[in-house]
Amino acid sequence: MANPSAVQSLERGEAVEATPALVGGFRVPHETLIALGLAAVAWQLLAFVAPPYVIPGWDKIFEQLLALRVDFVLITVARVFAALVLSFALGLAGAALSYSFPVAERYAMPLVKLLLAVPVVCWILFAVLWFRGLELRIGFVLVITCGPIFWVDLLDGMKGVSKDLRDMLRALRPSRWQFFAKLIWPATVPIVLTSWKINVSLAIRIVTMAELVGATTGIGYGLTIAQNLLSVAEVFAWTIVLVVILYAAQVFISLIEARALRWRE
Amino acid sequence: MSTEGVVVEGLRKVFHQQGTGRLVTAIEALDFAIAPGEMVSIVGRTGCGKSTFLSILLGLETPSAGRILVDGKTPYGDFDSFKGRIACIFQQDRLLPWRSALDNVALALEVLGVARAERVARAREWLERLGLANFLYAYPHEMSGGMRQRVAIARAFVVRPRVLLADEAFGHLDEVTAASLRREFSALAREEGSTTVSVTHQLEEAFDLGGRVLVFGCPARLLSDLRCDPGDRAGVARLRGEIQRMIDQDAPLQPVAS
Repeated sequence: MANPSAVQSLERGEAVEATPALVGGFRVPHETLIALGLAAVAWQLLAFVAPPYVIPGWDKIFEQLLALRVDFVLITVARVFAALVLSFALGLAGAALSYSFPVAERYAMPLVKLLLAVPVVCWILFAVLWFRGLELRIGFVLVITCGPIFWVDLLDGMKGVSKDLRDMLRALRPSRWQFFAKLIWPATVPIVLTSWKINVSLAIRIVTMAELVGATTGIGYGLTIAQNLLSVAEVFAWTIVLVVILYAAQVFISLIEARALRWRE
Repeated sequence: MSTEGVVVEGLRKVFHQQGTGRLVTAIEALDFAIAPGEMVSIVGRTGCGKSTFLSILLGLETPSAGRILVDGKTPYGDFDSFKGRIACIFQQDRLLPWRSALDNVALALEVLGVARAERVARAREWLERLGLANFLYAYPHEMSGGMRQRVAIARAFVVRPRVLLADEAFGHLDEVTAASLRREFSALAREEGSTTVSVTHQLEEAFDLGGRVLVFGCPARLLSDLRCDPGDRAGVARLRGEIQRMIDQDAPLQPVAS
């Protein structure tokens, strides 16, 4: 069915640009679907010529997908979510403190940068050596990796608020809280959302690695079992689950972004 | 001397220039008084310390020497006591891009803790007075420069300030819009009875606003204190020539103090 607004534009004699198909207000990613479909076909063709323990067919992969433990998926998602919320809270507190007290920033930032420079695999080893509890180990690795990123990103966002706007609001004599709530926070929201996108992607990878090394639950542990059983189909099935989780998280943040930043040009 | 209105006594402002660290004199010496409800325009070259003077009067900066009293108190020392009593219209509109016109105007009332229903009603009333009844929920990027500056004017007037400041508030607009806004601003300020201090480097703006014109030299010091009647065309023409001559003859910029 023709797009009604496009028809009206044509009736008015206006030029109409080709627009992507919209379903329920969302753009259907035709190109993505076609590209993924072609890759799936290529995989299936390879599966016909390669042995099933190297390249399993889609029938085997779907069989494995249906057999995957849903509780493992939920546990991984819960770990990522809880750790990100805690990391964000710590990052926000650190950024707000550094923004309010420059002396705190001068002392804290070298340490934050040091934390950012440590490779994730080192944090995983430290966590194994330092902590006994599994959840504590995973939580520690996620928070120590994502917290500093939130801290640096949020502080950059806060410092990026123009002096013109700060002076305008200061002239109204707001309280410290009003200054933060009415200017600094709303101005930092675009950076916050970008930081969440980056950290979600990072956290899913880290949690999988951490679970792979020492967990007895979660997607990472599921991958370990699949590896021990030499089941490529199961590894592939878990990989699909991870990609879908990441994609769903990105879409969810994008929806929040579209709503929260609707004031943008 | 009366403590009502604005009193400027031996005001001096020196600051360190960023980068070089040299001392720069922005305000050399200022002494004058502005009566309550009076409308004053300050003219002078760009960079002669007019905006620095306004920042001190707004309470955002402190003087190096001397003082400014507004109704007997210093706006920088008794900072919080001026909440809702002093407002400023800046050179750029400085609207918050994530707030609609209505919410931008209501911002000033939010800070004062005015109840939601009242602040919406007052913000709406001011936007309607300034001809923006159809743009209450428009975001800043959806409005023209003139409309955005109207919103900024509404935001300043909505708190009914005792002292209203305008820092080159109409300088960046096209002449037709600027002239119309100046007239509206001037009429509203008289109607509200606010003491008004408007800083500009455009003589036309000072004459349009009418009232008293203070001519600043460079660095800021009082070169002349004149009266202007916008209706008296011959008088305005004479004053324009006189002020232009005064500014031209003033020593060129001598920012380095030591």
